[in-house]
Amino acid sequence: MSVSTAAREPNVFARIVRHRADYLYIAPALGVMLLVIGYPIYDTIYLSFFNTPPSLAMADKIFVGTDNYVRILTSEAFLDVTINTLIWTAFSTFFAFALGLGAALALDRQFVGRGLLRGILLIPYVISAVAAAYIWRWLYHSDFGVIGALAVASGITDRPINFLDNVDTSLPSLIVVNVWKEFSFAMIMMLAGLQTVPEQLHRAAQVDGAGVFQRFWHITMPHLKGVTLVTVLLLLVANLNSFTIPWIMTAGGPAGSSDIWITAIYQLAFERIRFGVASAYSVILFVVMMSMGYFYVRALTGKDEATPG
Amino acid sequence: MATFDEFGGLSSLGRRRLLGAAAAVGMAASMPGAARAATAPAGLDTSNWTPEYIASIAGTMEIDTAAECAKVVPLNTKGRVTYWYVGPNQASPQIDHRIDAEFWAAFAKTYPNITVEKQNLDYNQMLNKVRTAALGNAAPMVAKFPILWGVEFAAKGQLMPLKPEDVGFGSDEFWPGALKSVMWNGKSYGIPTNNETMGLIWNAALFQAAGLDPEKPPATWDDLVLYSKAIKDKTGKNGYGLVARTNAGNTPFRFMPQLWAYGGGALDEAEARPGYKSVYLNNAGSKAALQASFDMYVRDRSVPVSALTNTQNENQDPFISGQLGMMISHPSEYAFMLDRASKATGDDKKTAEMVVANMRYGLVPKGPARRAIVFGGSNAHVFDAKVVDGKLDMEAARALLAFSTGPEWSTKIAWTNSNPGNLRGFRTKWMKERLETIKFLNVTTSMLPSGIPFPVIPESGEIMNIIVPDMLQNALTKKMSVAAAADDAARKVKALLTSL
Repeated sequence: MSVSTAAREPNVFARIVRHRADYLYIAPALGVMLLVIGYPIYDTIYLSFFNTPPSLAMADKIFVGTDNYVRILTSEAFLDVTINTLIWTAFSTFFAFALGLGAALALDRQFVGRGLLRGILLIPYVISAVAAAYIWRWLYHSDFGVIGALAVASGITDRPINFLDNVDTSLPSLIVVNVWKEFSFAMIMMLAGLQTVPEQLHRAAQVDGAGVFQRFWHITMPHLKGVTLVTVLLLLVANLNSFTIPWIMTAGGPAGSSDIWITAIYQLAFERIRFGVASAYSVILFVVMMSMGYFYVRALTGKDEATPG
Repeated sequence: MATFDEFGGLSSLGRRRLLGAAAAVGMAASMPGAARAATAPAGLDTSNWTPEYIASIAGTMEIDTAAECAKVVPLNTKGRVTYWYVGPNQASPQIDHRIDAEFWAAFAKTYPNITVEKQNLDYNQMLNKVRTAALGNAAPMVAKFPILWGVEFAAKGQLMPLKPEDVGFGSDEFWPGALKSVMWNGKSYGIPTNNETMGLIWNAALFQAAGLDPEKPPATWDDLVLYSKAIKDKTGKNGYGLVARTNAGNTPFRFMPQLWAYGGGALDEAEARPGYKSVYLNNAGSKAALQASFDMYVRDRSVPVSALTNTQNENQDPFISGQLGMMISHPSEYAFMLDRASKATGDDKKTAEMVVANMRYGLVPKGPARRAIVFGGSNAHVFDAKVVDGKLDMEAARALLAFSTGPEWSTKIAWTNSNPGNLRGFRTKWMKERLETIKFLNVTTSMLPSGIPFPVIPESGEIMNIIVPDMLQNALTKKMSVAAAADDAARKVKALLTSL
């Protein structure tokens, strides 16, 4: 048995030689990736063990071992920022996905104006994040914002609502903008997924007396499992890495109420010129994201093995 | 903004290395000991630096730039100098382009045998370009930097020691605040080229509507708090354009004058001889200043609610639309408002034109300790030979510095938006012409003696742009009490300074 297997599967070197052309084809891309991804990752990890001076005299950096990691993980500020990050990521992902799924289910049905509505709902996704952040900043503006003015005009409040200059409302306000920006992406993904659900299964279930909810739960959702996993993971990664909206709209403020990991890292590196500690922070974020990727791949692989073919 | 004061940075070993590197620079050895040229002493009474005094001295002195330069570097000197600066760009008024061209033509005429290889860089790109160039031993021989950039390069040992006497001037010909800004570790590393400050701008019509004297600004910061409340109470408009956004230079430029006026500060930068070791952020003056901001934002609600996310840009629209009573800004704000009014249409145009007509400039209020404003401007520096691209031509560099920082060209180059770094420039006919043609210039110019530069240390950016705005935000959002916010900020600054 082992002999016949060896005969069928040549050793690694032989396989590489056999696929040498393939390796040559991907070599340029691999080279570029090593340069623009591999090296920065290496350098970030390397820098995370040093303290760097604000004068940017990098030759004066001091080796501090794991001190940066210990300081980050034991600091009160890290706890605050982590809580903000978890709230930001969880709520943004959940609501963007839920809204996207709802919109996809609605748009999957045949009705007049469906194409137009699809186009309109895609606008938040295609609009530039920078432009969106500035537009929303003015919509929310605590003195002259349209939303506040409408609230006053309609008698809901007697003064403009303070969205962004209040420690209690700044993060939820940013999450609303983020969900608005992202739900279209979830909608596209889920719409694509819905195309894979066999229509005859729905008809058969309908004949058997299954209701709308039962058909959704027992037919639609199982078929959407794969695309749901992909969508949720991509949303999680996007939200963990989200920078443009929080930075432009509040820069982490007021008083740190909307500071999340990415804005904290940016500030440490480029505002406070603490490349060492910012690198350590980035490595922690990298590990968290890679862990998520690992569990995600495992989940996907498990699904593939369970449903061969 | 959550901060991470515990992530201080280098150990004391690192600081010693840093200082050692700065001290180890070639220092005076490579600098020719130029005797001071026989220039007339500045002879200005800066203690009585009022708009009237400035007007009275303008045009009283004749300047012969070539003759002055000849005493420093002979006019037939041959050489080559590389020079990087932020010059006029596409957005600059035509007069800036004309003056820049005239400057280079005049220099070529004065020193016909010195070749200048100049690079006019974008403000937002220059710092990183110079950092990179210096690391790669490709720095220019001479560079003109905004006021606080030089300290970083001095700390890295990349600048030559340089003082006014090296190019024929006396230190008494420059503002003390400007000279503070070129000091690092007890040595001077630059020569001031131009300096400016901001003033208090107000809408006289809103003052009148609030029952205030429309022609008189608040004399003290306590008065400003009362004026702001009166405007809000009587007109419903915001009184004072408070700015408290983090990571925005506008915030410390408007809050530090208040802090200094009450006797506070970040460090001891407002003292005559600052050592930048003592933390003032939680002294009684700083707490009083923070309390005044708290009173306006929280107690009286007389400033924009959006102050925590606003920069000065967000004050401009409310001001031109008559929704804001007072703000601190540059003299160029008037031209900016004129431009906005000219572009407005319909009723907006009427409103804007009325605001421009009612626009007034005055001195920034005093506090119990002093009147203060942030001292701005630029300085010229010479890079150390070891980081310069090619061989450093010190004579050519000195010729360019003597020519550009003298009374004539330090006045002309600063024409539209600044003031001569060389105090004798205020006596020239060109200064007289500026005063006659630029509205409100005399007011903001009369703030110059009250100018205080930010602490001249590499940590200044972090203190001013992050820790100070954080302190404001912590107090104004009531996340902390005023006293606790000040103590928290002081603790962060101490940690920052002692851990380095």
